[in-house]
Amino acid sequence: MVTPVPRVQLPDIVAMGEVFQVKALISHRMETGLRLDDKGAVIPRKIINKFVCRYNGAEVFSVDLHEAIAANPYFEFYLRATESGRLEFVWEEDGGAVYALAHQLTVS
Amino acid sequence: MGLTRRDVLVAGSAGLAAVVLLRPGSATASDEAIGLIERLTGRTLTESDRLRLEMPAVFPTGYTVPMMLAVDSPMTELDHVRHVRVFAPKNPIIEVVGFRFAPLRGITRVSTRIRLAAPQYVVAVAEMNDGAFLMTKTWVDVATNGCV
Repeated sequence: MVTPVPRVQLPDIVAMGEVFQVKALISHRMETGLRLDDKGAVIPRKIINKFVCRYNGAEVFSVDLHEAIAANPYFEFYLRATESGRLEFVWEEDGGAVYALAHQLTVS
Repeated sequence: MGLTRRDVLVAGSAGLAAVVLLRPGSATASDEAIGLIERLTGRTLTESDRLRLEMPAVFPTGYTVPMMLAVDSPMTELDHVRHVRVFAPKNPIIEVVGFRFAPLRGITRVSTRIRLAAPQYVVAVAEMNDGAFLMTKTWVDVATNGCV
């Protein structure tokens, strides 16, 4: 399988108290475990099952993903700028693999 | 693996089998969907306009249907949303996604893309911090099965 590539899009600088948009996407097939291969055997499930966003270590948004999330899972969500610091984005895959990204945010 | 449609149907009463055959889009299809989810969550759901689930009424493919979910909540420590779950009762695996938001740290609005197996009511259920379960639903007609 192609290695999943995570991507995020959010501002670098935000005014204190402002709500800003975050777009997070990971390229991933999201194999549901419901499909059969050409020999009739079940293709095992392999999906991203969890997405977490932490803001200076505190969990501020998280998602439990099931089979019905489309391939290349995409989330658009909104956070409030409370302090400068580090935003971490973590995607957890079936089987234990983890993909992560970090973003430095300056609050003015 | 989560609860499948089959698990719920087997666990449910025999009378349900008759309900499943009803035409989608009817009032009964909606009751069926909500009944299924009440059994799944074990809670009584209150239909509320504080929840908004925006999806296209008709979409050509079931593989990637856009979905926007918003909950009208001040998101304070005293009044916030704990958890929102989305269900697609006609999918082979009913539960679609669950979201957790943190009080004071943002607004309760999220967009994503989901798979749908058939035309159906998509249902969102929000658990509020006071223990109330609010619900909204929206009818989506897809032309192709996105779950195979």
